[in-house]
Amino acid sequence: MKSLGHKLGVLKKILCQAYHEKENINVGDQWQLNAMRRIRNLGPVQSGLSFFMLFEQFVWRLTPATCLLIIVGAIIFLKLGFFPDYDVLTLFINDTEELSLAQLF
Amino acid sequence: MQNHLTGPSDVEIVRRIIDGDVNSFELLLKKYQDHVLRIVKKHIPYSEVEEMAQDVFVRAYQALANFKKEGSFKQWLSSIAVRTCYDFWRKQYRSRELPMSDLSERHRDWLEKTLSSESDLSFSEESRAKEAGELLDWALSKLSAKDRVVLELVYLEGFSVKEAADLLSLSVSNVKVRSFRSRKKLEKILTALIST
Repeated sequence: MKSLGHKLGVLKKILCQAYHEKENINVGDQWQLNAMRRIRNLGPVQSGLSFFMLFEQFVWRLTPATCLLIIVGAIIFLKLGFFPDYDVLTLFINDTEELSLAQLF
Repeated sequence: MQNHLTGPSDVEIVRRIIDGDVNSFELLLKKYQDHVLRIVKKHIPYSEVEEMAQDVFVRAYQALANFKKEGSFKQWLSSIAVRTCYDFWRKQYRSRELPMSDLSERHRDWLEKTLSSESDLSFSEESRAKEAGELLDWALSKLSAKDRVVLELVYLEGFSVKEAADLLSLSVSNVKVRSFRSRKKLEKILTALIST
């Protein structure tokens, strides 16, 4: 009668051997052609440019123009005398009824 | 750099592919097909080997821009192959497409005869390989996908913990703990099997 430890040792040895014998199974030779077909369908390799790299390359170039646009817009609003906070406050003081009804609908 | 005896180097081929010469990838495929097959055959069921080998090369092609030229292409490809196998098992375990049934009477009979025979390896080689392979798959299916791949790499293939960690992009301590636990779990499964 063999001990449990001995049996376990034998079983482990057999399973380990079975694992390495998997390497000897034969595989067809069509998969390489299929792999190349799939790769050709994918087209040229992507350069690996991520969204952040694109952001760095293109969006930051527009920053001076954006800042200029903001400054010009602010000057135009000041020249026109457009103060939204002041206008809303005036409306609220002068016509409270209409404002509250307008808020309801 | 061109080596006149062995053809263009891997880095040179990769550069050509990135420059738009897709067909040059065939050189890498031919050079490393046996290496990739050797990895895939051990980790994946026979019926899926061809499909998986294709997937490894397609994934390698898609990630080619991330290949660091100072590293070994073979090592980089091995890592992709192992991670493709791991992803296969992760998907399989999630969808449970593979049967998780108990061992059949045939396997139990075979196991009993094998372990009780005086000569440890008295059965015919072919029969032993088939039954043992199925028994191994059954036992490994009781582990999680990650534990399974770690156990295969460290205990069955003999990679060091560091090498397995590099291949799977895991930390060394994670692989160390997983390999220890999964080996204990597998031993418990096998002990329960031979005790019944």
